Amino acid sequence: MTRVSSLSLWRERLFGTPFTGFTSVVLVVLIAWIAIPLIRWAVIDATWLGSTRADCAPGGACWVFIRARFGQFMYGLYPVDQRWRVDIAGILTLAGILSVVFAPQRLRLKLAVAMLVILPPLGIWLLSGGFGLRYIETREWGGLMLTLFISIYASLIAIPLGILFALGRQSELRIIRLISVIFIEFWRGVPIIAVIFLASLLLPLILPGGIGIDRLARAVIGLGFVIAAYMAEAVRGGLQALPRGQREAATALGLNYWKATGLIVLPQALRISLPAMTNEFIALIKNTTLVLVVSILDLLGIAQASLADPNWVGMNMEAYVFSGAIYWLICFALSRWSRSLEKKRRL
Amino acid sequence: MNVLSFINDKRVRDWFYQIALIVLLVGLTVFFVRNASENMVKAGIASGFDFLWRTSGIEVPFVLTGYTQSDDIFALFWVGVANTMLVTVIAIALATLLGFAIGIARLSSHWLLSTIAGAYIEFVRNIPLLFFVLFWYFGVIAALPQPRQSISLFGVAFLNNRGITIPLPDAPGNFRWAALVILVSWVGYWLASAWARKRKERTGQDAPLLAIGLGLIVVVPALAIAWASLATRWDIPVLRGFNYRGGFVVIPEFVALLAALVTYTAGFIAEIVRGGIESVAKGQSEAASALGLRPGRILSLVVIPQALRVMTPPLTNQYLNVLKNSSFGAAIAYPDVVSLFMGSALNNTGQAIEIIAMTLAVYLVIGLAVSALMNWYNARIALVTR
Repeated sequence: MTRVSSLSLWRERLFGTPFTGFTSVVLVVLIAWIAIPLIRWAVIDATWLGSTRADCAPGGACWVFIRARFGQFMYGLYPVDQRWRVDIAGILTLAGILSVVFAPQRLRLKLAVAMLVILPPLGIWLLSGGFGLRYIETREWGGLMLTLFISIYASLIAIPLGILFALGRQSELRIIRLISVIFIEFWRGVPIIAVIFLASLLLPLILPGGIGIDRLARAVIGLGFVIAAYMAEAVRGGLQALPRGQREAATALGLNYWKATGLIVLPQALRISLPAMTNEFIALIKNTTLVLVVSILDLLGIAQASLADPNWVGMNMEAYVFSGAIYWLICFALSRWSRSLEKKRRL
Repeated sequence: MNVLSFINDKRVRDWFYQIALIVLLVGLTVFFVRNASENMVKAGIASGFDFLWRTSGIEVPFVLTGYTQSDDIFALFWVGVANTMLVTVIAIALATLLGFAIGIARLSSHWLLSTIAGAYIEFVRNIPLLFFVLFWYFGVIAALPQPRQSISLFGVAFLNNRGITIPLPDAPGNFRWAALVILVSWVGYWLASAWARKRKERTGQDAPLLAIGLGLIVVVPALAIAWASLATRWDIPVLRGFNYRGGFVVIPEFVALLAALVTYTAGFIAEIVRGGIESVAKGQSEAASALGLRPGRILSLVVIPQALRVMTPPLTNQYLNVLKNSSFGAAIAYPDVVSLFMGSALNNTGQAIEIIAMTLAVYLVIGLAVSALMNWYNARIALVTR
């Protein structure tokens, strides 16, 4: 490899011909025109320390507001002295995921099933209380914690349902196939915002009188059904990519449908569709923001609600930049992960 | 023995599973419907679609259909459908343009240009759409100047924090004629291209289709619109007191929703465009260039037609997403079908089941129509292997 001085490389890249040179100048001016005021506002003229609005210099960002409201952005209106419960639930979830990822191959599946049985009810108990813990209503939940809660629990509904419907769509049984197709196309065809309205209005109506159902649970169920339809399509991709011979061989060995599916087909198909399923999970995280329309305040909802605080009028930009950055970091990290999975599979 | 072999027969078992599933679904439906009717009787809500003919009494700030508060609820429904369609169609058109531009910029050999395009794509794709809707509405448009300090666009349209005020023709008659002329000339082009294709199959001669197309698709409609605009008296907005009078006010909710839909969807379309163009084997453009085609013609005759085949199915999905995502306007009270019908009308009447069914039907019907149209187009451009 010849060593090219980096300066001449850049000159070649940006000013190779008169036309590229002209484009470069235009673009650099454009970037400067946008970036310089932005950096001045966000960093140079910004106020980082202080406790009230009065500490903030005019013209720059007032990050004091984010510091003062940080707890709400993370936990919503969850009682301050109980926030440790959310932290423990988060740490347990993370520990569960990590233990599955780093477990030896032969233990992985058993461990994953154990985690799936133990963690979700444990998480709900920690967050909502009862059995010795103070009861905390879901209307007090909020912020990033709620965004993650809805995403995780909606996908706990969506993934098994999605797998079932993907199998149903591939089934040889005509009626089962038809029902699966109708289910998938219906949920994919309607807007998620309409589904959230639908769940919050219809679920209490179609259940026997007297059975109350929590409004957060309604939203999670609604989102879970929509994402299940999208997950089903992601899994279908994996099923279609799998050679038919795999199931035929399993059948030839004398395995029945469910054994062949569970032991031979699904493990391989899910591995293939994991990147697509991750992308659906990213879409789910982005769509949890819509619970705002039924007055459930996730991270974006809390950011929006904080604008109404009379002590901090006019902090729109700060609230949006902060919450937007968190969404971006989470989704970007997940999409990079999904892309690396895809690359690994291709090799 | 006989019974056992009957149970073990695969066909018998298959039917048993399917019938069991149907029984389960029917049972669940009956259970839900009974609960719903009991609950509705308890709440004193009558079922049925009679409520549609009641006077709505709901004021709507953005109406295209001539609806007023004293019309019935069914008319309100149509206002919502029209507003949903309006923002969807305009957003699809603009997002496609912007998406193609960014997608092609992403593939550019100019390092800075493709980096900026890539950064834009990574930025918008990883942030919720609702974020953009709220940001445009509360962050950008709310920060625009008061009507008195409006930003003037060529002295006829005015941008301020109450939206965009645009001129409106006094009488729409001339525009109706222009629309008719445009329709006729487009049908004419369609007939001409069919005739040219037949002639080419018969005689092998090319017709000057490009010139005809340019004339009938672009020049004639442009002339018709120019004539209509010049022959009409325009109601140009004028500043009186604290706000503009006259013209047509495009409400800020519309502007914010449109801006959010376009900037967000363009990021996804750009990736589809990039994927489509990259899927065309390099040898194709090399071969075309060896035949002596110029770069512009290589792109338009060789690369884009083949890329379109790859791009059409995911583009269809994006267009359907724009339709569904237009409902995000409900968060800022843009009067689309969800916020007018599922929101205001439902609150007034309490007819949850009927209203939800009608609203979902709107999306399913339009969605099916769009995918049928795009499937037809896809089948037309698909590679025919003989």
